[in-house]
Amino acid sequence: MLKYFTKRLVALVLIITAISIGSFYMIHLLPGDLATVILGSGNTPENKKKLFAQLGLDKGLVHQYLTWMSHVLRGDLGKSYITNESINTSIAKALPIDLEMIVVSQIVAFAAAIPLAMKAAKKPNGLFDRISNGVTFGLLSVPSFIIVVYLVLIIAIKWQVPGTGPASFTRFPEWSWLFSDTGTFFTTLKDNLMSLLIPSLTLSIGSFVVYFRVLRSDLIATLQEEYITMARSKGLSRRRIMWRHAFRPSSVALLGTAGINIGGLIAGGFVVQYLLSIPGLGSLLIASITLQDYLVIQSTVFVVAVAVIVINFAVDFITTLVDPRIARD
Amino acid sequence: MSQEINSTNQNPAGDLLVVENLTTTFQTARGALPAVGGVSFRLGANEILGVVGESGSGKTVLSRTIMGLQPRTNVEVGGSVLLDGHQIVGATDEDLRDIWGTKVAMIFQDPMTSLNPVTKIGKQIGESLQVRLGMNKAEAKARVIELLTLVGIPSPEERYDAYPTQLSGGMRQRVMIAIALACNPTLLLADEPTTGLDVTIQAQILNLLDELQLKMKMSVILVTHDLGVVATRTDRIIVMYAGRIVEMGTTKEVFRNHKMPYTRALLESTPRVSNPSHTRLQTIPGRPPNLLKLTEGCAFAPRCSRATEKCSQERPTLEPTGVDGHYFACWNPLEDQAAPVSIQTGTIKEIGEDNVRG
Ligand SMILES: Nc1ncnc2c1ncn2[C@@H]1O[C@H](COP(=O)(O)OP(=O)(O)O)[C@@H](O)[C@H]1O
Ligand code: SF4
Ligand SMILES: [Mg+2]
Repeated sequence: MLKYFTKRLVALVLIITAISIGSFYMIHLLPGDLATVILGSGNTPENKKKLFAQLGLDKGLVHQYLTWMSHVLRGDLGKSYITNESINTSIAKALPIDLEMIVVSQIVAFAAAIPLAMKAAKKPNGLFDRISNGVTFGLLSVPSFIIVVYLVLIIAIKWQVPGTGPASFTRFPEWSWLFSDTGTFFTTLKDNLMSLLIPSLTLSIGSFVVYFRVLRSDLIATLQEEYITMARSKGLSRRRIMWRHAFRPSSVALLGTAGINIGGLIAGGFVVQYLLSIPGLGSLLIASITLQDYLVIQSTVFVVAVAVIVINFAVDFITTLVDPRIARD
Repeated sequence: MSQEINSTNQNPAGDLLVVENLTTTFQTARGALPAVGGVSFRLGANEILGVVGESGSGKTVLSRTIMGLQPRTNVEVGGSVLLDGHQIVGATDEDLRDIWGTKVAMIFQDPMTSLNPVTKIGKQIGESLQVRLGMNKAEAKARVIELLTLVGIPSPEERYDAYPTQLSGGMRQRVMIAIALACNPTLLLADEPTTGLDVTIQAQILNLLDELQLKMKMSVILVTHDLGVVATRTDRIIVMYAGRIVEMGTTKEVFRNHKMPYTRALLESTPRVSNPSHTRLQTIPGRPPNLLKLTEGCAFAPRCSRATEKCSQERPTLEPTGVDGHYFACWNPLEDQAAPVSIQTGTIKEIGEDNVRG
């Protein structure tokens, strides 16, 4: 077990190093000239030279990379060339929005997928199973940008659910309830959750569909196992058999899917943020690409990639807790 | 056709188990499959009954149906199983939960697939103790350690935290036995408890079962495809073919005076010590019948050297020989045997006539 985690940890460090090199080098592949972007009409060879010396861009690539990494490792992502704003601050403002969207959407997705998959797997090919299977199969092919439009139309426009309309997205994020004691706790938490309703629901539907289908088919297979008959023969309740004896082994596949899903989830979140003008990492990234704000692009990509890797590492860890066979070699 | 058996009651105190005309039919994509086709027998308290037959003869389905543990869907069960006054046929899982584990328990055929791979074995044994007997965690753990010791697992405190994949096949089968015995069942169904284990371990496990049967005063149904396993350990034997009983009687009578050619064929395909080693075992020619296409006649007819025209037209019923509740189903029964067939048992020792139980 310890050996397994040491191995995984070494892999984690190597992958993050590779990602840092990747996101650093990627910027140098992009078209466009930094000097033109920053200096505009003042882009004379002389000014350019001065600027590059100031930014450290006159040094070799390796030197540039090491300088960047040494700052990153000290927790300093640098400043935007264009807005002069600290990238740490921009990301700190945007990241919680992505995190909250993802966390809430995953809670909703699991809370819906687990009991429904259990219900479907109880009677494979039964009425409930066939309907849920059909509906989720259909939803599988609906992209999130369609779902979000329908949710806005239904929830915000047709039902007029207060606090969910387009105006709420720009109020994003209502974090005051966490950080300050101005305003009452519940009104702001409620505001926060209401403005989150449509974006999180959009993300959760995509995840729910995948989780439901993976868990359902895995549960159906697990329920055929001999150890399930064995558990029945002990005189255990159906509920206990489902949770203790079927769900635990099946949740390995579910967790694996969730880990893989994280990357797509972040991307899906970006699309939703773009469509609803939510000031999360996605909007930050798109804005910095539009402005050709190289260092911001590089830092955002790096932070997101590291987040994906760390989340996957955590999922692996949880999986080994559920199924100890995985960590044994 | 009647398979009513009334005179096999070995136990004056009354029968623990009465099975009457039991049928188990699977609805398959290719039609109805009668895995158990009308089985009747009785079992007394403390009795050990052997059920033998080739693979596919319906032994597993029979033992599961007796317990009410058949799959939940696509299966139809008929007839009656009375276990200590409880009617099993037609009862739901919810009804049977009260007697599963406590009144009747099962040792499953394959200890590799019958244990939950992601749960510690201590937890798997202790689960029934907590859920069924209401023990708290500490009591259950103490009892699990006792049970692990009872079934001969060394250093039980350490093994408590082991996962099934960390144990050998023999050890896993011992864990299965501990699970089955956890709630002191009155009837233990052992479905090929030693198939797949090597010969020395087989003998150990079977001896352990014998010992525990005496200690815990259970009735045991020992299911196996190997007559050698049942020879020294059972009071009575049921021989199954194509989902039906074809011969039944005390172990002694079935070994000495079997009437049914299939029983003879089974005996001849069991290893014998009297043969020089490396003698090829005689296998029963032909294959077991396709249960989807059973005919009106004797199911063994296509493979039987004694078959006559009548055999393929009419199914023989179980008839008594008049000795010790010995029954057989055959139109052309074998003559009384000149010499009893001696066979090699799990303990690899020749069994004399006197060693045959019954
Ligand atoms: N769930 C099931 N569905 C359909 N057929 C089954 C099922 N279980 C067992 N059978 C069939 O019933 C017959 C008897 O099987 P089984 O009782 O396992 O034999 P044995 O234990 O004597 O080897 C076999 O032909 C098998 O294919
Ligand atoms: S009834 Fe006929 S076919 Fe069947 S076992 Fe007896 S002799 Fe053979
Ligand atoms: Mg079997």
